[in-house]
Amino acid sequence: MSDQKKDCDCDRRGLLLATTVAGGAAVAAAAVPFVASLAPSERAKAIGAPVVADISKLAPGEKMVVKWRGKPVWILRRTPEMLASLETVKEKLSDPDSEKSSQPDYTKNPTRAVNKEYLVAVGICTHLGCSPSDKFKTGSDEGMATDWAGGFLCPCHGSIFDLAGRVFKGQPAPTNLEIPPHVYDDPANPAMVTIGIDSTDSKGA
Amino acid sequence: MAANSSFPKYQSDGTLLGNALEWFDARFPLTSLWKAHLSEYYAPKNFNFWYFFGSMAIVVLIIQFVTGIFLVMHYQPNANLTPSGLPIAFESVEYIMREVPGGWFIRYMHSTGASFFFIVVYLHMFRGMLYGSYRKPRELIWIFGVLIFLCLMAIAFMGYLLPWGQMSYWGAQVILSFFSAIPVVGEDISTLIRGDYVVAGATLNRFFALHVCAVPLALLGLVVAHILALHEVGSNNPDGVEIKKFKDEKGIPLDGVPFHPQYTIGHDLPANVIMLIFFFAVIFFWPEGGGYFLEYNNFLPADPMTTPAHLAPVWYFTAFYSMLRAMTWNFFWIDAKIWGVISMFAGVLILAFLPWLDRSPAKSIRYRGPIFKVLLAFFVVSFAMLCYLGTKGTEYHFFGYTPTEGFNPLNILLSGSFHTKFWTFYYFLFFLTMPYWSKIDKCKPVPERVTFK
Amino acid sequence: MKTHAIKFLKYLAAAVLFAPALAMASTAMHLDKAPVSTDQQKLQHGAKLFVNYCLNCHSASLMRYNQLQKIGFDKETIEKDLIFTGGNAGSMMTIGMTPDDGKAWFGTAPPDLSLMARAKASEFGSGADYLYTYLRSFYRDKNRPTGWNNKVFANVGMPHALWDLQGEQAARETVDEHGAKTVELVAPTVPGNMSAQDFDEAVADIVSFLVWMGEPVAESRKFIGIFVLIFLVGYYVLTHKLGKTYWKNIH
Repeated sequence: MSDQKKDCDCDRRGLLLATTVAGGAAVAAAAVPFVASLAPSERAKAIGAPVVADISKLAPGEKMVVKWRGKPVWILRRTPEMLASLETVKEKLSDPDSEKSSQPDYTKNPTRAVNKEYLVAVGICTHLGCSPSDKFKTGSDEGMATDWAGGFLCPCHGSIFDLAGRVFKGQPAPTNLEIPPHVYDDPANPAMVTIGIDSTDSKGA
Repeated sequence: MAANSSFPKYQSDGTLLGNALEWFDARFPLTSLWKAHLSEYYAPKNFNFWYFFGSMAIVVLIIQFVTGIFLVMHYQPNANLTPSGLPIAFESVEYIMREVPGGWFIRYMHSTGASFFFIVVYLHMFRGMLYGSYRKPRELIWIFGVLIFLCLMAIAFMGYLLPWGQMSYWGAQVILSFFSAIPVVGEDISTLIRGDYVVAGATLNRFFALHVCAVPLALLGLVVAHILALHEVGSNNPDGVEIKKFKDEKGIPLDGVPFHPQYTIGHDLPANVIMLIFFFAVIFFWPEGGGYFLEYNNFLPADPMTTPAHLAPVWYFTAFYSMLRAMTWNFFWIDAKIWGVISMFAGVLILAFLPWLDRSPAKSIRYRGPIFKVLLAFFVVSFAMLCYLGTKGTEYHFFGYTPTEGFNPLNILLSGSFHTKFWTFYYFLFFLTMPYWSKIDKCKPVPERVTFK
Repeated sequence: MKTHAIKFLKYLAAAVLFAPALAMASTAMHLDKAPVSTDQQKLQHGAKLFVNYCLNCHSASLMRYNQLQKIGFDKETIEKDLIFTGGNAGSMMTIGMTPDDGKAWFGTAPPDLSLMARAKASEFGSGADYLYTYLRSFYRDKNRPTGWNNKVFANVGMPHALWDLQGEQAARETVDEHGAKTVELVAPTVPGNMSAQDFDEAVADIVSFLVWMGEPVAESRKFIGIFVLIFLVGYYVLTHKLGKTYWKNIH
């Protein structure tokens, strides 16, 4: 056998290479629809379409939750005291200026908001995906430390966040809570907020 | 098979990969499996195109497994209705076709693959009949093959229920009613199989379980057994002679070539590319296969209240469906319905007896006499006719002929039901009289060695 | 010896090829050939007629409105001009009427139309041919509860939804010596808003849309297929040449 192989090796080698490369390319191309089928379907995309939330009835200090792409999105109307606490806790935060965190550029500011009164954040801990609980009251009222200024506590692994969704130092969560793209019909007089789009130009389903 | 210690273990060439391979081979029969079944499995060198279909069946099997796994990720076996009144199972198939990225491609591959499976398996079986591949010592290979064919029929039948369209539903309803033909306990058995008094959600769920799990496992095991049995005794060839009779000093058959690479790359690879050309031509340009691969009525959701006007099984079952319909008389106080079911199952099972029915001195058609050639030709006609007639209604007449009143031989000669009976009769006669005619047939002398140009 | 094998193949081929020819001989139902188009203008026209005339009683619940972007609509147009049932472009083309209501009102629930163009294919013609003929074959019949009957679907439960476009056709029934009844359509006695030619075109557009909706991916499927087949033919040449090298020295 080895003798026979030697005889035709020269013309075979090129063909074998071409066949292998083309065959490999074909298999890779055929794999595309299979891998694509794992991606969100049209149904999932339609369900993940932007949602509109009516925030006109939200009282100061209250939080509402809307579902966007299957995830809870919090809308918290912050009181002046709550906003003030954002400055006082700054020292203890791991990423106070949200440098490493995920948010649209227009919310990369001290209150992490378009309209500083309203925090719109994805209520999913950046550690392992649990949804943190509200711990809005200050001090030990909520069973937190005595210097607690209000925020969120993740029940799974104990990460704590301030009222702008910023994570405290030494917590398992690596980054601040994600801020979804969102836009107000009229930022001066907020009544409706659309979550999932960046500007009213791209408004639609 | 010689997959044992007779093959030397792999010796490392000192490279990292070589060392890893040596480590692995010392603990797993890697090189011996490779050599026993591929590089040092010697197959006769005179294979022709009839020997393509076995490898094609494996390629189609892989296609069905891979596409099937991806379809299961999206399909929902649920007969409940959506608010719009469509069954969820039916809707989920169209969800795959429309909303899952690439889903239509995967689904068409699976639906076309089913038909291609039967095409290549029928041709593969016919190859066995041409060259006597079922004859001693290959009887067990053939029997495993018949079992594979039975599994294939089961898996195709159960898979066809899953889209939950009109043909799915009523096809299953009719086939499962066969079991009610069994005397005394028949009705209870068919209720037990359905899990309900008609085909219903319970039936869909159990067929799903069997289609995606139980039968594929059995099928896979039988395919392995089929190949192991083949490699134990060695392949037959178009001359029907044993190549093991003449070996060189190393014990390699003189008329044998290594299965790999001569047959894998040198023979089966280009052939399978040809098959894929046909396969993808259907998928991209003719996915409904003219109503034979995807029946038009199956684009209507299952409706237990309305039977489609024209009910026929998918094309690959029609030959055996014809055998069922051929039985319209009651014999020996037994119902025609039972005879129909018996003849349909007998039509498949009789194949398993072929190794003992055939008593010809020559295996291959090349050296067999005129009786076999003529009878086999008519056997092909009978199978084709039964396939065709099974797609037609019972009142079918050839050439659009309308029966006239009174006696007219054309009324019979052009009648579909007459031909169904006639060719069913021929189909069984071919097998049952084989012990006689195969023995008296005038065979040519069989050469000692294979013919190879 | 190969000739035997080839002879058998020929038998098989003859049987298979002969079969459809025989089937065609027994044509009973005559269907007009539908001028199906893939032109976006026509599909859009068909889609508009469809949502106005069909989507009140029939759903197309396997279709998502935003898929209509594939025939050239933009999202605003879809939400403004095509959706009458509430919901947004991400909704399915469903209707308010439930299947039970439909059954109560029409005798049978109006079927979902998403796949109708594929389902209605038969030995007599494509699904499009059937729908094209069916939609143009309604005639006045005072014996029916709806006041309408249809030439290709006798005693249909559906009234003539497009009557204001076509006008009212009548029918002349003739009975031959065997007692077989044939229905012949008479040109509209009460004129509609459209000329006969315009009406045929409108129906053709609806049918084209129904065909598109039956398999929205059909056009891209054929487009991809061309490249796949070209590749495979080339790949065959390559593998065939490669395969030959392994047999060069086997005698």
